[in-house]
Amino acid sequence: MPLDRFHKILVLPAVLVFAPLVIGPLILLFQESLRPYEGGSIGGTLNAYLTLSNYTEFWHPTYAKYFLDTFRVSLIVTLLALVLGYLLAHYVVRVAKPRIAKLVLAGLLGVLFISLIVRIYAITLTFGPIGPLRDISWLVGIDPRTRRHTELMVVFGLLHTVLPLVTLTMIGTIQMVNPRLEEAAMSLGAPGWRAFFSVTLPLSIPGIVSAGIIGYAFSISNLVVPLLMGRGFVTFISNLIYFRFSEVANFPSGAALSVIMLLIALGIFFAGTRIVSAIWPPAERSGR
Amino acid sequence: MSKLTRRHFGKGALVSAGAALAMPALTRPAFASDQLLIVQWGAMWIEVSREILEMYLDSTGSDLSVTWEQHSGGSAAILARIQAEWPNTQRNIVSAWDPVFRSMIKEDWLEPVDESIVTNMSSIPDLFVQKDSAGRKMTVPLSTAGAFWGYREDILPDGFDTIEDLLRPEFRGQVCIPYPVNLTGLFIVTCAIQRGGDEFNTEPGWDFVKELAASGAIGQICTSNSEFINAMATGLYGVGFWNNGGWFATATNFPVVIKNRMPDNKGFLYNEGFSVLKGSPLEPSWELTNFFARPEINELYNMNLGSGPTHPDAKANPLIADWFYGPDELEQYAYVADFDHLGIVLSDWNARWEREVLPLIP
Repeated sequence: MPLDRFHKILVLPAVLVFAPLVIGPLILLFQESLRPYEGGSIGGTLNAYLTLSNYTEFWHPTYAKYFLDTFRVSLIVTLLALVLGYLLAHYVVRVAKPRIAKLVLAGLLGVLFISLIVRIYAITLTFGPIGPLRDISWLVGIDPRTRRHTELMVVFGLLHTVLPLVTLTMIGTIQMVNPRLEEAAMSLGAPGWRAFFSVTLPLSIPGIVSAGIIGYAFSISNLVVPLLMGRGFVTFISNLIYFRFSEVANFPSGAALSVIMLLIALGIFFAGTRIVSAIWPPAERSGR
Repeated sequence: MSKLTRRHFGKGALVSAGAALAMPALTRPAFASDQLLIVQWGAMWIEVSREILEMYLDSTGSDLSVTWEQHSGGSAAILARIQAEWPNTQRNIVSAWDPVFRSMIKEDWLEPVDESIVTNMSSIPDLFVQKDSAGRKMTVPLSTAGAFWGYREDILPDGFDTIEDLLRPEFRGQVCIPYPVNLTGLFIVTCAIQRGGDEFNTEPGWDFVKELAASGAIGQICTSNSEFINAMATGLYGVGFWNNGGWFATATNFPVVIKNRMPDNKGFLYNEGFSVLKGSPLEPSWELTNFFARPEINELYNMNLGSGPTHPDAKANPLIADWFYGPDELEQYAYVADFDHLGIVLSDWNARWEREVLPLIP
């Protein structure tokens, strides 16, 4: 829908604020990624020839594993959050009494108001290797003393924030789906599960995609959860970037890794939305 | 709902633009000479520093206003933050240790100091002070600190005699180590010393680290003092390599044995202290620093940190009496690493850790 002049003016302040805040730092980041780095200095060398060596250092096969670990763990978190979140959102919108729905909403929002650090330590103390519920990992066949258990802790830590975000997003989506469409399907003889899978779920796809993007973006870019719960073994790309910027002051290497991460994340985002568009064309998703 | 008119829109736009223009002036921090921003470690460091600041304010009647900023992660992380703002950083005093001081001196960020400015420096051994290439004193050392191997005796009553023992199956998951760039790479150096190398010849050390990683001995890799203190308090790990501050916090709650006199390894010694950044209000910065360097304050400061005082008249905490060395032991057990060299190789070591060691941890 084309914007009229009035709406363009309304958008302008946001553009004026966000363009320099987002694009400006990205340009500087890219510039830093091309600067040579001399051991012991803080940041890249100024007034020197630009180089691509900061990018080529990541051709080492080990880094592919760090990328894959980041994307794999984030995908697990996102899928879990989508499944659990959708069920919860559906319950809140379609099944729960108003008082219960308010309680669930308050709980979801309340979790987001608790500091992430507090939640991380609470999870660690509960499910960690000395926590009372540490053996819960046996349910999924994971020994609490292993690296896999640490990975599970990171999944729990991320899920703690992603699940409320995803659920709240999908509550809005399910509210937008007209319940009479389900009733119409059932009045024509469809059982409840079929009405859900052939009417409610397809019409919720745009919200599920949005919620998935939010959850995935939060997970792959998260620093604190893998840093504090990963015990130094489960390392996300954000951790590698953090150590370069923060601990060894190799800004060019950190900037190059950030640019690579950004490009891959954008690639995944566009590929994902294209696949969704191909499977569920916009007209079908809007219920027309 | 009220209708949005052109007049409403115009008013709103004007108010927003005005607020946007006024915001920098409204939020600009004050730079009054009686305000200081001091960077300090968390845990016991900031607690005792706050206590000493109160004593300073009470004894001098000063109306100095101090804001504390805590190091996040290793103290080297502050370098990147200062670099991003330099020369307009609002930080004034940075509490750090030798390798961080070396980097700040190299960047020419620090104000020189001597006994005429900080009079209590006169009795602090000159050996402890970091100097620039012109020989000017750039730091006020407040603590003699170290990094050592150690263990919790309640978890591992038999301990270990040499770090080669840590490769044995009974130490699986028991060892808590720093991320290799924390403590400026001293973990790699201690492993190198173990196998006959040093900070200039680290290949034997990398071999040992890889064996340690592959054996499953490494239970946690810590990136800060708080993380180490918390990790050792959980009871999950019996062995560690960390600085005396982390060990001191552990030792106040659990029986700890510091392995600083092993026949085939060394304990690392260095100094911590204060430095003042250029552009800071010098008078209050140096006056407060001078107060921290008074013998009785130096004693109080280090008594709480578990570090050795730098003032000869100050007493050390009895708990750490055995952690540091007598003059006759220094040559055999103590090691002062070349932090200038470590600063240069640290980025490479970080990449090497990511490529060669982390993937080996089962």
